[in-house]
Amino acid sequence: MNMSSITAGETLSRSSSGSHPPMSADERFARRIVSRLSEGTQELPHDVVERLRVARTRAVSNRRRPTRQVTTVGNSGGEAMLGLGQVWWNRLGAVIPLVALVAGLLVISVVQDDDRASELADVDSALLADDLPPAAYADPGFAQFLKSDSSAR
Amino acid sequence: MRPCDLATEQELSEFLKSVERRAFKRSVYHVKDQEAALDIVQDSMMKLAEHYGDKPAGELPMLFQRILSNCTLDWFRRQKTRRALFSTMGDFENADGDGDFDLLENLASPIDSRESESAEDATRRAQIFREIEEEIAALPGRQREAFLMRYWEEMDVAETAAAMGCSQGSVKTHCSRAVHALSKALTAKGISL
Repeated sequence: MNMSSITAGETLSRSSSGSHPPMSADERFARRIVSRLSEGTQELPHDVVERLRVARTRAVSNRRRPTRQVTTVGNSGGEAMLGLGQVWWNRLGAVIPLVALVAGLLVISVVQDDDRASELADVDSALLADDLPPAAYADPGFAQFLKSDSSAR
Repeated sequence: MRPCDLATEQELSEFLKSVERRAFKRSVYHVKDQEAALDIVQDSMMKLAEHYGDKPAGELPMLFQRILSNCTLDWFRRQKTRRALFSTMGDFENADGDGDFDLLENLASPIDSRESESAEDATRRAQIFREIEEEIAALPGRQREAFLMRYWEEMDVAETAAAMGCSQGSVKTHCSRAVHALSKALTAKGISL
């Protein structure tokens, strides 16, 4: 059987005799114990090993990812500047289409207002330039005349 | 600078692989229940990965020890709320109740892998391992924790003290008492290492 030359009892006696530093003797004994423990853990039941493997795989897959900015700052200054520039470009890329959309809507609104105003101006100018005075259209008799005239034709 | 390098997925996986068996056995010694120990280790792995997966690889061992200790404490607290906490060796002995079967299982692979080793030596080795495990499980909790962190996890006194939340002097005292208790118990059983 593979046995060390120092027994537990001898370890204690050496510790107390003072021929070696007490912790050193204790540590040697402790190392032998944990060495046996480590040896034993290599022979765990298969189902335990498998469950530990599954738990490890699941944990690693749920690992918290380092953020992009942290990684960039952790590198050199030049790359950090590049990283910040990249962030600004990303922000601009998101904002520019919104600005363009709002500007387009404003332009369409202004153009439609102008068109409507010019149409009304044309009607008004046609009415004012006509031989018939505008007040005639509000007269019930004139409206009746127009109806009877169109029915007579 | 190496300590500042963030842990990659591969590094995290390798770290967990390197500690998972010891963590499981330590939990078994503490809670004396294999299923509970597996749950504790699984929770600890998950918490480490979810909350500290982006930390430098050098910080993972200390973080994992703290998380494992906290998860074990949480388990005891949960048990305490359910029923009065009992710390008899009953559960552990029951787990070993089919010890004959475990022994045969344990012997199967060593005999295959160490063809030169006789069956008698393998049996003796397995018995010593079980005796050591029993004595470690019988240690007071703080002594066991300090001993296993200090020597099995190979943490220094300061790291062990930080992980246990006590002074370095306490760690030295716990370790010394644990070593002497183990030495005395194993000597009484006629086991020499």
